[in-house]
Amino acid sequence: MVKMSVEPVQVMSGQVKELRVAPSSNGDSRGSWEGKEEFDGGSLGVTAKPKQVTGRRARKVEGGVFFPKPENAVTVAVSSRVLFRTEREQKVFEQKGVEEYLRYQIEHETEPFAPGPAFAFVKALEAVNTRLRELYPQSEELFDIVLVTYNHAHVGIRLINTINHHNLFIERFCMTGGSSPIGYLKAWHTNLYLSADADKVREALAEGIAAATMFMPEKMTEVSESQLRVAFDGDAVLFSDESERIFKAHGLDKFFEHERENEDTLLDHGPLKGFLEALGKLQKKFYAKGQRLNCPIRTFLVTARSAASSGIRALKTLRAWGLEIDEALFLAGAPKGPMLEKIRPHIYFDDQMFHVEGAAEMGTIAAHVPYGVAQHQQATKK
Amino acid sequence: MASSCYGDALIRRIKEKASKWIYRNPVPGPDGTHLNHHLPKSGLRKKDADAVVVAVTSDAVFDPGADEGDAFRVGLAFPLLQALQRVNERLLEQNPSESLLFDIILITTSSQRQQQSSQIMRSTRHHGLEVGRFCFSSEDNFLESLLENNVQLFLSTDRNETSQASQRGVLSALLDQRAASSPSEQLRVLFCGDTVVQPNAAGPMSTIQHDAQSFPAQLGKMRQRFGMLDSPLVIILMVSQGGRDSCSSALQVLRSCGVGVDEAYCLAGAPQSPILSLLHPHFLLSDDFGELEE
Repeated sequence: MVKMSVEPVQVMSGQVKELRVAPSSNGDSRGSWEGKEEFDGGSLGVTAKPKQVTGRRARKVEGGVFFPKPENAVTVAVSSRVLFRTEREQKVFEQKGVEEYLRYQIEHETEPFAPGPAFAFVKALEAVNTRLRELYPQSEELFDIVLVTYNHAHVGIRLINTINHHNLFIERFCMTGGSSPIGYLKAWHTNLYLSADADKVREALAEGIAAATMFMPEKMTEVSESQLRVAFDGDAVLFSDESERIFKAHGLDKFFEHERENEDTLLDHGPLKGFLEALGKLQKKFYAKGQRLNCPIRTFLVTARSAASSGIRALKTLRAWGLEIDEALFLAGAPKGPMLEKIRPHIYFDDQMFHVEGAAEMGTIAAHVPYGVAQHQQATKK
Repeated sequence: MASSCYGDALIRRIKEKASKWIYRNPVPGPDGTHLNHHLPKSGLRKKDADAVVVAVTSDAVFDPGADEGDAFRVGLAFPLLQALQRVNERLLEQNPSESLLFDIILITTSSQRQQQSSQIMRSTRHHGLEVGRFCFSSEDNFLESLLENNVQLFLSTDRNETSQASQRGVLSALLDQRAASSPSEQLRVLFCGDTVVQPNAAGPMSTIQHDAQSFPAQLGKMRQRFGMLDSPLVIILMVSQGGRDSCSSALQVLRSCGVGVDEAYCLAGAPQSPILSLLHPHFLLSDDFGELEE
């Protein structure tokens, strides 16, 4: 491998006046949503009867839209297996079949599931919503979280009990009882779909919906409760996999040559570009109200490209798309795990399982985007 | 013209599979066929009580406009009838002496159609539809026919008719174009969970808690005859205005009355048509039916 600068280089988006070095020392301000009542997570006093959770309704935020029209909102669809931990139930399903699985679920209906890999991400989305509603009470430009699961409706009551227990604001569901959820994703104008099932994710990507597979890491490092932090890989995630193809086919030298020659040609877009765009739109709403310094959304690019060379094309492309990314980290091939551990994103999107696993080992919640040329090969070190 | 209800010769085909069907007015058919010569009435009264009586209007089953020579062309309720038949077939496959079956009545609701009885019966035979009984009624007396025949579910394409029937306490559902593109191998019944109980009308949520023999309760029993996968009958819940608490309530009310829901959709105010167009229900049961957006 060509030895470039070993230090990962951070490049800030051009508009920020201050130069920051440590990624963690920004915008962790305490917003008013932190005054909301915390549900007593220890009590399992959840019964089969629908619980009138008055505590949840008494949020400090007065006005605002709570049920935006799907086409106006940034819709995030999550499956039950990534929102919650359902390993035990999965095992029952795999070992004993669907009838026994459903019987088990109904038997344990009053036991809430534990949080899954997407849980912290969803909580962070809600935190952003609270801030948005304060500033724009009439606006429908909010995150809208929909539970889209091919689970059978017999599991519905347990899922709803769990949502109540964790005080999540999820009011929209599709429980398709076994049929494909993909059609419903489109009907909900889904901007991002998170699932544990790689096949469903691939189907969604094929339909042009940003999607990623999530896995339960052994440990999950603590993430911010007040600021949504989303990290993206570059090639085959934000950008197309065209450059990766060159690298895989012809090696690193050819890759650098190609990038240099095409520095002024924009990269084609990748499956997560639209979601970054949606985040950017919401960020601008905070900037417009003078909230740039404590914006509750922060985005990161974490790429193996190098700042001095191949990274330039990436930045130019983002700029041409009108997308700002708050921090761009050019690792020049260095492992991503340690950097991600410092960033502590709520979610990190990468097209290569190798990086996803590496991140998870260090406690980062990583999601796999099964797109592009990397899927046809064994996971190899880049 | 007074209404006359009687079975058709083609019922013999069903009888090969099951001997449940009885005829309330064993009148010789128009071509002189004696209709229920092979069934002793008394022995079947009890089993007949288990049948789920569904009446569908002829204008829903046959396209009112067209006719291909001798027989009418099929209308938008054709897949629905096929699906009802499919459920019966599967029930009998599992248990040849099953008594909880759909008893399908084809009913006319206008004097015009009332005059076309032979053409209607011929069309039924032509298209291989298995109708238990025919009721040739007019707009003036079809409601009485529904009541006399203990109809538990009335299906029509005419909003006026379903409204009238509902006011008389007969659970009714309006059929629309959606039914035409629903599957013929699986009956998909949609319960709308936002309940606004109207005092005089019959609705699924209001009747279900009071009447164990109601259509929803019996549908629930039928559903239980099948496993989770590959069921010819699927029960769907849609909550269009409410959120998760409404959804949870609806699921529990239905479950407490023996109706297990297979698919559940909670919209909390999101537009219904994109979701409805994916669900392919044959018909919708709602306490405030008619309020659904088109």
